[in-house]
Amino acid sequence: MAESTQMEVETATQTAPLPAKPTFKPLKAHEMSDGKVQFRKISVPPNRYSPLKKAWLDIYTPIYDQMKVDIRMNLKGRKVELKTRADTPDISNLQKSADFVHAFMLGFDIPDAISLLRMDELYVESFEIKDVKTLKGEHLSRAIGRLSGKGGKTRFAIENSTKTRIVIADSRIHILGAFTNIKVARSSLCSLIMGSPAGKVYSKLRNVSARLNE
Amino acid sequence: MAIVKDSGFKALEKLKSTEPPVFLAPSSISEVARAASQHIFEKLKPYNPKSPFDELLVDGFDAEQIWQQIDMQSQPLLSSLRQEVNRFAKNPEEIRKLGNLALKVSHEDDVDEMDMDGHDSGDDELEANESEGEEKDEEEEEDGDEEEDGDEEDEEEKDGDNEGIEDKFFKIKELEEFLEDGEAEEYGIDYKNNKGVAKRKKQNLRDEEDDDDEEDDDEEEDDEFGAFAGGDDEEADKLGKAKYTDFFGGKKKETKVKWKDLSEDDEAERENQGNEKLSTHEKERLKVQSKIEQMEKTNLDPKHWTMQGEITAAKRPKNSALEVDLDFEHNARPAPVITEEVTASLEDLIKSRIIEARFDDVQRAPSMPTKAKREAKEMDESKSKKGLAEVYEDEYVRTANPAFAPTTFSDELKKEASMLFKNLCLKLDALSHFHFTPKPVIEEMSIQTNVPAIAMEEVAPVAVSDAAMLAPEEIFSGKGDIKDESELTQEERKRRRAKKKRKFKAESAKEPVKKARDATTVAGSEVL
Repeated sequence: MAESTQMEVETATQTAPLPAKPTFKPLKAHEMSDGKVQFRKISVPPNRYSPLKKAWLDIYTPIYDQMKVDIRMNLKGRKVELKTRADTPDISNLQKSADFVHAFMLGFDIPDAISLLRMDELYVESFEIKDVKTLKGEHLSRAIGRLSGKGGKTRFAIENSTKTRIVIADSRIHILGAFTNIKVARSSLCSLIMGSPAGKVYSKLRNVSARLNE
Repeated sequence: MAIVKDSGFKALEKLKSTEPPVFLAPSSISEVARAASQHIFEKLKPYNPKSPFDELLVDGFDAEQIWQQIDMQSQPLLSSLRQEVNRFAKNPEEIRKLGNLALKVSHEDDVDEMDMDGHDSGDDELEANESEGEEKDEEEEEDGDEEEDGDEEDEEEKDGDNEGIEDKFFKIKELEEFLEDGEAEEYGIDYKNNKGVAKRKKQNLRDEEDDDDEEDDDEEEDDEFGAFAGGDDEEADKLGKAKYTDFFGGKKKETKVKWKDLSEDDEAERENQGNEKLSTHEKERLKVQSKIEQMEKTNLDPKHWTMQGEITAAKRPKNSALEVDLDFEHNARPAPVITEEVTASLEDLIKSRIIEARFDDVQRAPSMPTKAKREAKEMDESKSKKGLAEVYEDEYVRTANPAFAPTTFSDELKKEASMLFKNLCLKLDALSHFHFTPKPVIEEMSIQTNVPAIAMEEVAPVAVSDAAMLAPEEIFSGKGDIKDESELTQEERKRRRAKKKRKFKAESAKEPVKKARDATTVAGSEVL
């Protein structure tokens, strides 16, 4: 267009030169939502209340400083609230922060949960033991014990070999990691729930993780 | 007798009339049967003068006993009857005679008796000799018998000529006739064609058998046959004429007649039976014909199942395939027959191979060059010290920038292991007097203290040295040529003394200034 205007065309009436092509800067999150502020509210379960208090600053600092998202704790409603600021660079920051806080609420540690902030490809998957197999009473307790192992060694073994983090909360299981790793960890956990011994799970894990880590 | 005859006759009639099933039942019919058998016995008695019984004894006798009596009477009768039948078969004219004889009731018995006697005697002798099988005697006797009953003309002639030889036992004519019959039966001679041959054969037979007895008879018989002209083959006659004329020249007539009779008889017989008195050719022809018939019959019959082409099991008899030798195409090679040669050859081969040491062992196929087994990541069962983020971070750095990648646990372990091994190797080399290829020097900065070597090294027998750790030039930092006291020459000593004096003087020049000062003070102090 500019070029065309620059060309001098001898015409009867001289038209006004057309305006230059507009160059816009990328939209900020704030502007993208038409100036509206976006919120996220994450409720805090009672068992995570005191750990939240302890680790508040570790949560607050990366969110506020690096993600550029406002964060506050609503004590009365026992919720953590997140809000976009004007200078939030990317709309996904809010969501990432929300996921990070949510992971902490589920029971993951701060350094593990922080990976959610840093990497895009990490997800949290949750399922219950009864989804896999209906167990009641002692069987359920035994299954949970099988999952963790003595001193948690089975859980750690799975975590280390598949590069995931696992949280076992009563009959709920949460897995944090990349998609394929989550799958492997989930299958090994399911086999443990179904009753296979730990040694068998280890051997399978060894094979699969070797392939995963190539 | 008449009454008895009548009752007997009636009994016979009654027997005839009864139906067969009645005979099976042991009942009334037995009396009738006995009466009938008595009657028959009496009728036959005249023909059998030698029988011991006058009449058949029936009363109180068992069936077996009655049968025995009948048998005793009838046995000789049968043989004589056979003779008669044979005679009549040869000479049909005799039957006519018999008919004439039959009319003569009064002489019947006598003539028959005479004949019977002759026959009986002959028969007795026959019976005696049959078991021994002397044809000679039989032939003589039979011929004798036959000749006796032969043509009257011939009989008269013969009786005139052969009175000396022939008697009622031995009749030459009968002998000859018998011989002819035997030959005809044996050889199947066709009388019309080969009479000469037959004659010759007969003559030969006669010559062989009756040489001793019949020389005289033969001459006489030859005279008899001289009248006969040869209607037969003259060549044959000529060939055998020497014999003929010598012995049997006169017999041509009779043989001819006899041939004619025989031929007539043969024709009659052929009509009736057909097999017994044929010539050789006829017999062969019959055989061939029978064969032809048989072959034609087999051709017409349905074929054997093996020749019928495709056959199913249903169409052939059960288990018939087992009896037939079937030809199969065997796809498998037949098993080799192990003979001594085969084993010997095998053993030779084995021996040669052992000597050569050329065994065809199976060699293991070389395995493919495998990839180096990738490090099996050790399963860590403790809580990982790094956070998840750091784990991913490390992984990323390793893939993107291997140089900056922090060493892994395994790397550190490797390092530690390598250091340990180096130390171990050093110790082992010390044990072997350091007689080894030198290791590459590792530049390491470390402080060396001037401590005797013995303190630094291990207490090992050989490697210990008294040498100090530091070299002499490291200890002494001097210049020039250093000589010992005893090594110095005179001039050097002088020089050294001079130097020492000069130095002393220089020092003493400095000191008097000091000493003056000190002296004053000392003096001052002393004053006080």
